[in-house]
Amino acid sequence: MNTEKNVNVKTAGTVDPKKYEAYLKSTHRLGQAVSLLTLAMLLGAPFLIGSLLGTLPDLGAAARGFLSVGLVWTVSSIVEYLVYTPMLGAGGSYLAFITGNLINMKIPCAMNARELVGAKAGTPENEVISTLSIATSALVTIVVLALGVLLILPLQPLLESKVLQPGFANVVPALFGAMAYKYYRKDVRLALVPLVCMSLLFMFVPSLTASTSFMIIPSGALAIGLSWLRYRKVRKEVGQK
Amino acid sequence: MTVLEKLNGTGIYLICGGIVLFIAAVCVVFLVRAWKAGKALGMDPVKMKRAVTSSATFSLLPSVAILLGVLALSGSLGLPWPWLRLSVIGALHYETQVADAAAEQVGVSLSPDAMTTQAFATIALLMSVCIMWGMVLTTLFNRRYLRRLQGRNPAGASAGRGFGDQAMAAMFIGMVSAYLGSYLGGFVSGSGLFTFSGSWTPLVTAAVAALAMAVFTWLAEKKHLAWVDNFSIAGSMLLGMAAAVAIGH
Repeated sequence: MNTEKNVNVKTAGTVDPKKYEAYLKSTHRLGQAVSLLTLAMLLGAPFLIGSLLGTLPDLGAAARGFLSVGLVWTVSSIVEYLVYTPMLGAGGSYLAFITGNLINMKIPCAMNARELVGAKAGTPENEVISTLSIATSALVTIVVLALGVLLILPLQPLLESKVLQPGFANVVPALFGAMAYKYYRKDVRLALVPLVCMSLLFMFVPSLTASTSFMIIPSGALAIGLSWLRYRKVRKEVGQK
Repeated sequence: MTVLEKLNGTGIYLICGGIVLFIAAVCVVFLVRAWKAGKALGMDPVKMKRAVTSSATFSLLPSVAILLGVLALSGSLGLPWPWLRLSVIGALHYETQVADAAAEQVGVSLSPDAMTTQAFATIALLMSVCIMWGMVLTTLFNRRYLRRLQGRNPAGASAGRGFGDQAMAAMFIGMVSAYLGSYLGGFVSGSGLFTFSGSWTPLVTAAVAALAMAVFTWLAEKKHLAWVDNFSIAGSMLLGMAAAVAIGH
């Protein structure tokens, strides 16, 4: 017997629309205000920290970095926004985009909570449950990280030891090795072309290794172009059937 | 005082800790508001409690994995900044990649020996700028976007993604290929065209991390140890980094 189904809960059709509208309106106001404040703090922090260290960020280098890698993440952010906001509702989406770790934690966490209580997307119940879920999840992460940082502090001399430096100097290859398996297995045939092209390019023009992040653009464009051609072909075949 | 010691200074802890505290307060405010709204809307407190407790337990393991990410980045960026970045907005794969791209633009590598204070400030700024767009979009469009979706089937929004999902996967495949190609090119031609005498540490590191990821995936999918998934990226990275330490270059 499913106990959840036996719990009497008012759903979208039975709640007071005025109360719900008022809640949504104030949630948007609050969400916008805290998002702007968080943005200001996050953008201000590098300058504040820089002034503490007696320097400021190199804006030209930051702009070049944004052109190379930032555009990829901007597109990714737009897609994430369009896809996840309807699932999360107002309060949940403001919080999720402030606290991050969407795909690896917040989205599955909110979906899990929604399924557990049987809330349907787009209903007032979903709005409340998503917000509760994401707020709780973010608080757990904040507490775990704060405790972890406190525990790591005594280990700092060890972390800074010369023996461990090759490990920290190779964080990026470690990340891309892990991500390579994760993404390549989704589409090995598609992965092969940009991998071979990029490898050959770097072998023949080794100086390009100093601009790897710029090379993401042609490599990504190649992969997306190939993916688009295949998508179009499949759609055509489905249309003919 | 080394750069890393400066990056672990009390002032930086206070700045980062202050922002983390602000975000924690925001979460508490949203939590309390949603709880009160749920009660006012006639929702069952048992269900709401269940949502809270299940979310807390669900988030515990991934949070420990995120902590491992803080550890991975702390060697080059100090402890407070990765702590802030992975507490607010950040995600491990994103932070590492953007930090590396920013380091490249300021002419250093993401390693403790090469780090300078200006490089750090620039990296920190770029990390903030690159990931802020989700927040910008919610601030600008959430009200209108959600209003437009009201009355429609919200599931339709995700069902109509079409090529979007494939394009995202392709974009990441392209990104990974550029980096792996650079490691291979660096080894083959890094110290002279086709001399095969460049550094092979990044290649081995990437290979070990990929292998570890394969094992984690196998455990999660074939042995039904779903919790392993939470640690797969951070765990693979740490094993890859351990391989680099073992090689000792």
